[in-house]
Amino acid sequence: MGTMGLALPWKARISSTLRERGTRVEPSEHFAGGPNPAAVDALSEDAVLAAACRSGDLRAYERLYAMHGARMKNLARNVLGNPSDAEDAVQETFLKVQRSIASFRGQSSFVTWTYRILINTCYDARRSRLRKKEVANDDSEETPRHEPRAPGAHPALRMALERALAKLTQHQRDVFLLYEVEGFRHAEIAGILEMTETASKNTLFQAKKNLRQMLEPPRSSAAEAR
Amino acid sequence: MKNMNVTCNDRDRIFEDGTPAEWAALGAHAAACPICTEQIRAWESLSVAAKELRDYSDSPSFWPRIERALAEEAARNPQRAERRGWFSFFRNIPLGWQTAAAGAFVLVLTVSAGWFYLQPPRDGQPADQSLLKSKALKEVESAETTYVQAIDKLAAEAKPQLDNPATPLLANYHEKLLVLDSAIADLRAQAGMNPSNAQLRHQLLAMYQEKQHTLEEVLETKQ
Repeated sequence: MGTMGLALPWKARISSTLRERGTRVEPSEHFAGGPNPAAVDALSEDAVLAAACRSGDLRAYERLYAMHGARMKNLARNVLGNPSDAEDAVQETFLKVQRSIASFRGQSSFVTWTYRILINTCYDARRSRLRKKEVANDDSEETPRHEPRAPGAHPALRMALERALAKLTQHQRDVFLLYEVEGFRHAEIAGILEMTETASKNTLFQAKKNLRQMLEPPRSSAAEAR
Repeated sequence: MKNMNVTCNDRDRIFEDGTPAEWAALGAHAAACPICTEQIRAWESLSVAAKELRDYSDSPSFWPRIERALAEEAARNPQRAERRGWFSFFRNIPLGWQTAAAGAFVLVLTVSAGWFYLQPPRDGQPADQSLLKSKALKEVESAETTYVQAIDKLAAEAKPQLDNPATPLLANYHEKLLVLDSAIADLRAQAGMNPSNAQLRHQLLAMYQEKQHTLEEVLETKQ
């Protein structure tokens, strides 16, 4: 049996790391009993935050930023590829939330709705960047230009993963980023991307299968390594 | 917990949508299966690798920048906010009732337009025709105004989805609504020049109904 690990320098580290499972509780994993008190608290907090934002209270937006700003910026950065565009997208998202909070009917959670706006804003920004490129007669394919960020523990791994992610379909990339990087649950991703929970799980599965194929060492080099 | 019997064939299904119990059973199976051990390790390694894409470092100038933009936006649109507040009670009415109200307006508009169109001239009544016409027109126009307001409310509901269409279907609806709006504007301009032309009014009504149905479909996709 050959090594199935990924062709990356961190193989040794992750080979001994078993991912902590069960940190996310999916709705389908609630077996019995009444509503989860933590979930009820989160829902009421979400509703309170939405109401405060609707009333135009800037402190409510500050709270939204304190709770989700860093995660929003990280998601935008992974979609757009650079921190400057990511900050623009997050700022535009806050403005869009402020402009359309009156039309928010509470059919999804306020936070889910905010992330949906963020994702759409990021793709609008990518499309507009693509149009600008076309006008400039630059025919290079639009893929996120990943600018250097704060050095992490495994820069080579990060770069390889960024390159592989750029080759996934938009939905696969979004689901992977939301689930694996940002830690959303499938139920939340379903709300953000307007898909079913089952579709979210299936898309994640396909995304990880494709990533694994892209990141796996070629068979010949794997054999040499042995 | 009841022992679960898991084989290599179950691996992909568990990767996709396994319960914690199934994952535990797969782990137990992997203890004696090197292929599954390796597959699980490769699978899990992606989750570990994904954490490399997390960078939650704070930039202190970012919130003040957003706050300034929010404050400027709020100062720029106080009237819009006021208007939103004025009409906010409409949003509290369930969508079903809004649709029913819009339907009722269509009915009123159709009946009144049809009645005035088909009404035969009455013999022996030297009524002031210009007065009758103007009264009938006023009723039609008033019904139309009410109907248009109802549709505008639907349009406001659907606006966020249409402004940022998440799917090709929504983008198509958006295009269709733009075409309908353009046709409505043309017909209204023609009706303005010839207000008594019932044929134009019927065409206009058909356009409004199409717009209403399209907006309802957009809102249904949201739900």
